Amino acid sequence: MKKVIIALLMVAGTFGAMAQVTLNVLNYQQADQAGYQEDVQIWQDFQTQNPDIKLNMEVLFNDPYHQKLQAYAAAGTLPDVFYLWPGARSAVIHEKHLAKDLGKLLGADYLKDFTGAATNPNNQLGKYLAELPQSFTYTAVMYVNVKLLKDNGFAVPKTYADLKKMVPKLKSKGIAVMMLPDKDGWPGQSCLFSTVAGRMAGDAFFDNVLAGKAKFTDKPFVDSLKVVEDLFKDGIIQRTDTAVGYGDGPGIFAQGKAAIYLDGDWRTGAYITDKASGKALIAPADQSNYALMNIVALPGEKFPGVASAVAGTGWAISNSLPAGSDKEKAAVKLIKYLYSPEVQAIRYGTGAYVPTRKGVKATLEPLPAMLPPFYAANPKTCYVLDGVLDPSVYNVINNGIINIGNGTQTAAQVAADVQAAFVTWQATKK
Amino acid sequence: MTKAKRIDREAGRAYWMMSLPAFLVYLLVMAFPIALSVVLSVSNYSGGKMFGGEAWGFAGFGQYARIVQDPWFWNALKNNFYIVLISVFGQLPLGFIFAYIIYRRIVKWPGFWQGILYLPNIISIIVVGLLWQSIFSPNGPIAELVNLSARHQFEIKLVAVLGSQGHLNLGDDALSRIIALGGPQAANMFTNPVPELRDLIAGYQPNQYSQLLNDLTNLFVTRWTPDFLNQKNVAMLPVLFVILWMYTGMYLILFLANMQKIDTQIIESARIDGANEAQVMRHIILPALSGTIVNSAILAISGSLSSFALIFALTGGGPSRITEILSIYMYNNAFLGRPNFPLANAIALITVVISMLLILVTKAFESRYGGKEE
Amino acid sequence: MVEESRVTTAFGRFSGHVAKGLAYLVMVVFAIMTIYPLFWLAMSSFKSTREYQLNMLGLPKTWVFDNFKMAWDFGEFGKLFPNSIIYTAGTTLGVILLSVLAGFAFAKIPSRATKWIYGSFVIGILLTLNSLMIPLFIEVNVLGIYNTRFAVLLVYIGAGLPIGIYLATEYIKAIPTALIESARIDGAGYFRIFRRIVLPMSIPVATTLAILNITGTWNEFALINILVSKTDLKSLPLGIYKFSGSLSTDYGKQFAALTIGMAPMILFYVVFRKQITKGVAAGAVKG
Repeated sequence: MKKVIIALLMVAGTFGAMAQVTLNVLNYQQADQAGYQEDVQIWQDFQTQNPDIKLNMEVLFNDPYHQKLQAYAAAGTLPDVFYLWPGARSAVIHEKHLAKDLGKLLGADYLKDFTGAATNPNNQLGKYLAELPQSFTYTAVMYVNVKLLKDNGFAVPKTYADLKKMVPKLKSKGIAVMMLPDKDGWPGQSCLFSTVAGRMAGDAFFDNVLAGKAKFTDKPFVDSLKVVEDLFKDGIIQRTDTAVGYGDGPGIFAQGKAAIYLDGDWRTGAYITDKASGKALIAPADQSNYALMNIVALPGEKFPGVASAVAGTGWAISNSLPAGSDKEKAAVKLIKYLYSPEVQAIRYGTGAYVPTRKGVKATLEPLPAMLPPFYAANPKTCYVLDGVLDPSVYNVINNGIINIGNGTQTAAQVAADVQAAFVTWQATKK
Repeated sequence: MTKAKRIDREAGRAYWMMSLPAFLVYLLVMAFPIALSVVLSVSNYSGGKMFGGEAWGFAGFGQYARIVQDPWFWNALKNNFYIVLISVFGQLPLGFIFAYIIYRRIVKWPGFWQGILYLPNIISIIVVGLLWQSIFSPNGPIAELVNLSARHQFEIKLVAVLGSQGHLNLGDDALSRIIALGGPQAANMFTNPVPELRDLIAGYQPNQYSQLLNDLTNLFVTRWTPDFLNQKNVAMLPVLFVILWMYTGMYLILFLANMQKIDTQIIESARIDGANEAQVMRHIILPALSGTIVNSAILAISGSLSSFALIFALTGGGPSRITEILSIYMYNNAFLGRPNFPLANAIALITVVISMLLILVTKAFESRYGGKEE
Repeated sequence: MVEESRVTTAFGRFSGHVAKGLAYLVMVVFAIMTIYPLFWLAMSSFKSTREYQLNMLGLPKTWVFDNFKMAWDFGEFGKLFPNSIIYTAGTTLGVILLSVLAGFAFAKIPSRATKWIYGSFVIGILLTLNSLMIPLFIEVNVLGIYNTRFAVLLVYIGAGLPIGIYLATEYIKAIPTALIESARIDGAGYFRIFRRIVLPMSIPVATTLAILNITGTWNEFALINILVSKTDLKSLPLGIYKFSGSLSTDYGKQFAALTIGMAPMILFYVVFRKQITKGVAAGAVKG
């Protein structure tokens, strides 16, 4: 009899008590970002809904985040669930397989609710789904102040020539035609040059370069740089923009000091209402005076209409969690919560990005609401160069664009520098 | 046991009990990381779990060779050298002079000046970086001032070409001269410069003369950029100035503190004997402070070579790596994207060696010229 | 009594007034460079972010006061403040105590080991902990002290020791050995001598070390970021850093956070300035 009771108790025990699981989480959020409060709430809600899962959260941003991630990787103590970049920014995680393959872990059935671009393993550095991209971002978008152009007698530009025609009139009014705050270097490459290169050279060219069958000093790449050279020479982009910080851009654009502003699609968040203060850089009523457009047609372009886009960031699960363990199950639960339609709708609503999860709905202000049609109108994408090249190479491109802007280097010189950096990098790979 | 031996034993015990705590902490915090750093610099470790992950091992001194051959290393070293110069020959003398001025009551309100001059040392570097960027941005106050003056100059030249008010019928020659005022690049803004400019001006009524002047100025004047920050040899100057401003106060305090240690009687009697300020400085104060000066030089040198946060916040090493220093050079290799720890640690060690050399030089200097403390 | 007099510099033959004028000029320039940023920072923390972006350098047109509360709450400064105080005070006291203690040993107790041990400290002055971050992280994990206040204090103190021991040793070397000898002859042990003679006489160098360590520790963020992940253990700079991303959309809160971060240091300095100079002057009286 005693044995039966004990056996019954044991069975009852396994059904009743779910083991307390603790998960270490590394989150990427900034207290002064749009959507900070919503983010805090999202995590709190998970804890309330799942009292059996305890989360040890660490929240970092920018440099401290990347440094800490490197430290964790080196010590082998990566958090169980962490925020991750799909490309070179988090290279060590992809190359050393420190994150689980979410393609296998979450399964095709779950992933079918996400766009193909998000679930394509080729879009990540390790060619497997180390993280599930929450967004697929277009990095080079022209934010066009349609009203400003109209007031000065111009229609929305379609070609490079259209842009050039605008220069004398707009400049005389103290308005820049196109603005690109490039002090930090990466905007020039990410928010302009990647699309230009995609148009003039094309993805296949860069594949060839990486395979050793083409060089950066070949005509397609030099021509791409020449376009940038011309943009500065013709006065379409002001040379002083190479000294403007990335954070200063939206303010200047919102004041009407530039007709077109080049940035990634994530920047709509900078203009919409800040929930905490109730103020917006561009009031919702005025947002319809703007339009989002792909970069204009360039003279001599071989691949018209492509736009540079890259898989966005997302969440990853550390590879050190034993397969099938409670911890892994808890981590998957957390991931599925983070990617649930409800949570994604909240994020969508804060203007953070357009979710890759299909069918997510949210109320949006006019400017971010322009994003889905923009995506639909520009389905052909091309590489974002800092997603396919090594930092030691794309940093040279970044700096080269600044130099072209300042007039201290020509397109040919920059191309030569990039090729030299590429050769050096290849040598170290052996 | 003899009294001497007992004293020796006690001395030995005291010695170890006093020095061991510090030494142990130091070993824990510094020794292991340094050792690992040296090992990493000659290894082929490529990321991932360091201990217990992929195997890695000795790979030779290739990293050091690579560094010495990299022109960017020499660029960074040169910039660090400038910082050392400004620190040792800028902060120290300036700090000394300030301290002397305050100590000898040559200016009023010594307490206030002492406080104000030290304050920059306390200001968070994040603030300094932010303010710096907004002041020197092309939309900042300096730019506004410079541009105002530039526009004024330009308008004068423009009026000279345009002629008197209302006379807007210009010939090709005048139009070309206007375009030329904008510099060699100006013509690029147009496809057909002269006709287009004529059309543009034609859009203005005679009573819009001042508006026309304003707009033509907008069109052709060369906007000021913080250009001097882009020139290779000049880019460091503003950075050096900020460094001077931030750290002089610390040396001021150090020197002042040690000056106040000096027995005022000595100075009094010297003054009574007829010595003037210069002689007081040379024969009393300088010698008394020589030890402090050497220590400060050492502090300054080691600080110069390891400084990171300030310059990172001001320029990030840019534009295009012109203001890059050794610590940023190392940081870019250690943390961005794909870390290259062997390279980064090699850079760190080279930096240490260079610091050591500089300090040895300083110490040699001291034994030749200084040391007259008491 | 020191009377005002003509200053004849050793480097030239300026009249006293020119040199004095020059001195005033430089000091005033520095003073403006100091006061304006602080003033600007304080002003900016009363602006909304939108206003800041449109009006970076002027006075606020509308005064916003909730930046401070929001910064305090979002940044969880209530948790971070005590930590900063603990770390700064703990590090400073630790460095001073260990440095003066060891400095006495190195300076006044003859031993053959001194050359090596003291020498190794001096080399430590040249190292940046910046480059040792990853090894430190690994070590802290291996020792099992990751995410502890102990680890932070240990590392901070260890970082301050090289300079501390160098300065302390040099300083104590200057104390007349005769004083110590006579105390020894009277039968005092070294620890007694330390407590009665050396420690009181070391107030000037202790003050110097205090200045160096307090300013160094309070604003430190790179190292502590690596050493802890729990918010409960983080210090103020990490909280402030939460507000300074490059994609920042909220300058208002950022500046409020920065102002909160700097206020204690400024307050501390204003309040203790007299103490500091007094402390240094006390060492001037030779017994």
